[in-house]
Amino acid sequence: MAQAGTLTRLRYRFIPDHLIGEILSKKWIDNAIPFLVLVGVVLAFGALLPNFWSGGNLSMTARQLGEFALVCLAMTIVIIVGGIDLSVGSNFALGNFLALAFLNLAGWPLWVTVPAVVLICGSVGLINGVLIGYLRLRAFLTTLVTLIIVRAVVDMLLLKYAQAMSLSFYDNPWWDLMGMGHILGLPFSFALLLVVAVVGHILLTRSRPGWRIMAIGGSRRSAHNIGLPVKGLVCAAYTISGMLCGLAGLLYAARLSGAGSDTGMGLEVMALTAAVLGGNSLGGGRGSVVKAMIGAVIVLVMTNGVLRLGLNSGSGQMVLGLTLMAAVFIDVRWLKNRDKLLNKVYVSPTLVELPAPMKVGEGAFALNDRLGEAEIIGLGAVESPEDVILDAADNLYCGTRHGDIVRFFPPDYTRHEVFAHIGGSPLGMAFDAAGNLVVCVGGMGLYQVSPGGEVRRLTDETNRSPFSIVDDSRLRLADDCDITADGKIWFSEATVRYEMHDWPVDALESRGNGRIVCYDPATGKTRTMARGLIFPNGICTAQDGQSILFAESWACRIRRLWTHGPKAGQIETVLDRLPGYPDNINRASDGTYWCAIMGMRSPALDVALRNPGFRRRMSRLIAPDQWLYPNLNIGCVIRFNEAGEVLETLWDQGAKNHPMITSMREHKGWLYLGGITNNRIGRVRLPAADPNWAGPADYWGPKA
Amino acid sequence: MRGGLRGLTDRILGRGQAALTVPPLDGAWKPNTRLEDAPQGYASAAPHSLVLRGGEPLWASGAQVLGRAGPVLTAPAEVTALALSPDDQLAVAAVGAGVQIGEARPEALRALGCVTGLAFDAAGGLWISAGSTVNPFPAWSRDFLEQRRSGQLWHYAEGQLRLVAEGLGWPWGLLVEGDGVILSESWEKRLVHFDKAGRSQVLVADLPGYPAGLARGGSGGTWLALFAPRSPLWELVLREPKYRREMMEEVPPAFWIAPALASGRHFSEPMQGGALKQMGQLKPWAPSLSGGLVVEFNAAWTPVRSLHSRAGGRRHGITALGQHGETLWLASTGGDEIVAVSLTEEGQDATGH
Repeated sequence: MAQAGTLTRLRYRFIPDHLIGEILSKKWIDNAIPFLVLVGVVLAFGALLPNFWSGGNLSMTARQLGEFALVCLAMTIVIIVGGIDLSVGSNFALGNFLALAFLNLAGWPLWVTVPAVVLICGSVGLINGVLIGYLRLRAFLTTLVTLIIVRAVVDMLLLKYAQAMSLSFYDNPWWDLMGMGHILGLPFSFALLLVVAVVGHILLTRSRPGWRIMAIGGSRRSAHNIGLPVKGLVCAAYTISGMLCGLAGLLYAARLSGAGSDTGMGLEVMALTAAVLGGNSLGGGRGSVVKAMIGAVIVLVMTNGVLRLGLNSGSGQMVLGLTLMAAVFIDVRWLKNRDKLLNKVYVSPTLVELPAPMKVGEGAFALNDRLGEAEIIGLGAVESPEDVILDAADNLYCGTRHGDIVRFFPPDYTRHEVFAHIGGSPLGMAFDAAGNLVVCVGGMGLYQVSPGGEVRRLTDETNRSPFSIVDDSRLRLADDCDITADGKIWFSEATVRYEMHDWPVDALESRGNGRIVCYDPATGKTRTMARGLIFPNGICTAQDGQSILFAESWACRIRRLWTHGPKAGQIETVLDRLPGYPDNINRASDGTYWCAIMGMRSPALDVALRNPGFRRRMSRLIAPDQWLYPNLNIGCVIRFNEAGEVLETLWDQGAKNHPMITSMREHKGWLYLGGITNNRIGRVRLPAADPNWAGPADYWGPKA
Repeated sequence: MRGGLRGLTDRILGRGQAALTVPPLDGAWKPNTRLEDAPQGYASAAPHSLVLRGGEPLWASGAQVLGRAGPVLTAPAEVTALALSPDDQLAVAAVGAGVQIGEARPEALRALGCVTGLAFDAAGGLWISAGSTVNPFPAWSRDFLEQRRSGQLWHYAEGQLRLVAEGLGWPWGLLVEGDGVILSESWEKRLVHFDKAGRSQVLVADLPGYPAGLARGGSGGTWLALFAPRSPLWELVLREPKYRREMMEEVPPAFWIAPALASGRHFSEPMQGGALKQMGQLKPWAPSLSGGLVVEFNAAWTPVRSLHSRAGGRRHGITALGQHGETLWLASTGGDEIVAVSLTEEGQDATGH
């Protein structure tokens, strides 16, 4: 057998391809491009301008940023809800004028002025909100009108009061602090911005109103249809926008103490540029505070930088315009292609060098058709019985893909009933000492069904792996479980990277994506006990009760995890080089174990496993129906012992009744067969087996 | 230059020659079960090279030429092609024994290897196709995976053997047409007409399967047997030299990812996703290494009807066929059966009666 080169081995060992897909699937990856632009802009102007990095400049820029970024936040929240606010500039000017007028002319104290300004500017936003949210006017036109009217009002007021205002001067230490002071070494406005940003971020990402605003921006109609108060929230977004503008105006007033007709002129365009540049989608529903901040820094550094470079007056606007165009272009392309890119790179097959399989057709693997004559139970009545189990009263249970646990009644198993409905895809099952049925449910977690048929969730999450990029604490594909004598439930999660029905993709990858998890009913705690396993599938408590045996399907081997005793936590291989892919493992009556072989290794696939590049191109270029799979159209069950010897093999070679056997259970001289793609259960008589042996009694003593 | 550039952009963008898509079975190619539903025929081990003598089928199986009554002739080695001359002489090609015509063994034809098709023209000349100069006949799937284009077309008349064309992608079936011959070029998935001077004209391109035997149809048309369906997976494998090389080195030929005459017989065969039995059923649309498909073209080379045996069916790997009256005789090499399909019923089915 040819070997992969050392270089190839090292490459697949140390370059974690799969992380690229995981990083791309994170939401924050949207910020990657804006962030790179930010770094580029800062470095470029830092190099171009002589004293860019000086403390004075940085402090001044931070102070300006405090005002500007608040306006950008005002714009962003409205954009997120699916609208636009053009009136931020005039509103900002209004806030600036009012602050100076109240303090200098009216002589109001500071503690009245600040809330008054914020509220008045908020009420401008409220007018926008009522018109747009409740009366359904167009956001663009409405805020354009507000822009003009508020600007006109400010101009008229300036005409009347500007002279009087410029004569008086307001002196107050708090006012000076707002304009020129520092908090914890940070310029006041910048510190305020940080507080607003953190609160805003938490509200937007971690609170109900935030989520709802996102939902409305994503699809206003759907949000309405699911019963969200769309009108009120839209109105609230504009109001908040107005209030943030007022706050920014206040800071500006405190810093410069001057009002002119050009205050806040063109600010809406800069804020819009910043918001979009940061990656907030103009269509709504996709945006964040961080994006707004990144955009604000880029725009501010650029406009200041262009000004200080001494370019002529139009060029600042030109640079801004071109940047905006580039940002919109990249935004659209990114949105369109992100999922495509993710789909292309998420599947990342790895190098698998399986040892040569044991020879089939001779010895313990001699071919026969003993499963071909299986007695059929429940043909058409059950779909996808992944696992089958029998209780002490000889009732037969299986799960179905409809989320039911179906019970068949002895002696002939022709009658059946839906014992319980869980949902999801019930997979592996085990009985505990009290006769409760413990069920692994694909897509849901670990559940328990009492003898009376009541369903209870045991666990659906485990501790998150340290340093994992995606949150793997939720159980995606709990596969098979068994219970040790102390009542702890050990179960396998076959893969953390794919949903249950995507198991063939995990087979294509053949990476160690799975883990073994233990749930302790005494404490209610769930802990991951082993990770990095290659599709851990069947689990069976060993006869000595000190360890569990588990099947690693895509690695074609059966291993043992010590759960008790001096070697607890260690893993050792019991049976390697299987000619097929092992699935569930269960005890046999003579102290050995049954293991279902879901399919056979095809030599062409073994070669493909050694060629991850081939598999990756296969996954990208052709439809999953056309992918090379293990050969699963074969029924096969083996019996093995703890020494790792295969003792006998039962076949359904033509796969007439039992292709892809995923589970088998011995009970009183019969072997019951289940298959996840099948619509029947089978049973064959085991002439050599103990006719009185049953699983529950073997586990929990004769009383069970 | 332009061709080279086109080839390069095609490879980068995965289109044109580099596309992995296969033609859909639409219109006259629409799948049906007519081949599968035909009555039980005559069992014979891997029959191929079917010819009709007065309406009675003769076919090759191993080293024997058989008829319904029993063996007609035994060749020194495995027979690869048969043809019937206008004066009722049987031409037989066998592995390592060249071609014999009746009892005669012309010296010029002794050295011919890998003969895949024989056809007599009206003047008694013999057209001979050789699948490959590299691989022998039984290694045709290796020839496919190696993407050989070493097939040859010969014309033998009056003791002279003349090379008409070479560099062909496994020419298989031959059908005399006017002064020239129609040839099915399996690896190129097309039918080509050659005249005696070697001038060629493509008649049908981009077939949805790998073409084999040809036969004259009832009303100026032509029957074509396609011995295996096409599959995106094979197209992919053909673009993967390293994988292909390793597979050919390590895997027994029966378990290669390549077109096959029969499949689903052993658990070591490669299986594709769609072929997994669901709820006890193999879906008829499942991707399969083999299939049964014959198609009739009219005189304008438009397909008019097709007969299918789909995934999981019995009558796979049709390599040769012949029409007599309203009966279409088929050699199902993969199904070990000579099948007779009544075309009158087919005609009625087609018109809806």
